Amino acid sequence: MSDILGRRRFLSSAVLGTTATVVTATTIGSVAPEAMADPKLDVEAGAPDPNFVEGRITGIAGGLLIVTSSDRTLNQIHLTKATSVWKLRPTTADAAKVGDGLYARGVRMPDGTLAADAIWLNIVNLQVHITSIGRSVVHMDHHGDRIVGHVVSGTTAAVYNNTPAVSDLSLLEVGRHAQVIGAWRPDTNEVELATVYAAA
Amino acid sequence: MAQDTRAPATSEASWFCCGAGWGPCGSAGGGACGNCSSGSRHCAWPNTSDACFAITRPDKCGDDLLRRTCGHTFYVKNLCGTTEIAVKIADCGPQTDLWCGERSCCSGNCATNRLLDLTPAAYSAIGNLSSGIMPVTLRS
Repeated sequence: MSDILGRRRFLSSAVLGTTATVVTATTIGSVAPEAMADPKLDVEAGAPDPNFVEGRITGIAGGLLIVTSSDRTLNQIHLTKATSVWKLRPTTADAAKVGDGLYARGVRMPDGTLAADAIWLNIVNLQVHITSIGRSVVHMDHHGDRIVGHVVSGTTAAVYNNTPAVSDLSLLEVGRHAQVIGAWRPDTNEVELATVYAAA
Repeated sequence: MAQDTRAPATSEASWFCCGAGWGPCGSAGGGACGNCSSGSRHCAWPNTSDACFAITRPDKCGDDLLRRTCGHTFYVKNLCGTTEIAVKIADCGPQTDLWCGERSCCSGNCATNRLLDLTPAAYSAIGNLSSGIMPVTLRS
């Protein structure tokens, strides 16, 4: 728990525009009490999570992402040097592009913006059936929708029956079910494959 | 005897999107309970109704789960974490029988079979979305 609070304090101070320490950030009084509390204890079951944002990036200004949530609400998300960024693989903040889908978790600041602890760009988690397998693509059925999954050399991995992830996809079988963690391509509606969980 | 989640039990948990969303999540809808939302602390449970159970079939994996319906609250913790979150049932799932015997571990602690799906908001509070699946403890 102390680790979580420490990270939250660090994020808060980073968004305040300083590399100051936790002591400095709190001393100036800019961190609201609700931002200091652990949000995981504050959110009621079934309630919207105030420290989480879902939506698409509609603007980028420096380290600030403008995100329009699917319910049309607008959110501003601060990226800091402490923000972890995932887009098919762990990456850096400059990977964020207008049009990307996003999930973000962080600290809600007093002005309503979110200081991001982590963002996941275009991440999807799909329960699929494999319909065909090509040299570098896997065609999948996702609740009746056809999805093209692209194998990305050096990144795409498979997990068969709890085994460690391997790059060998040869044990995937047409007709079998699988779980796919991947990155959605907004321009084509296709997916780049990160990890495929399958029974072998 | 049906598994009583008033006592802590272990399970694998994955995540799913529901409600309004982008990409493949755009057609997800509000789930079996009608109010499911990716941004809320919601979950899916394999035995919310007879119709749900007929799809998910946790019994095929040896899990005799109690019926828990829309709005029921579970308390969930990453098997290797200290933070416990509360989530409400808002959908039916996961399809447990597709993954019978699957096991997830962290730091030598393991859980078997997929009995719970969490929304991105819930999952990311106790784990990393890119992991796709994690072992958890759950209780009512």
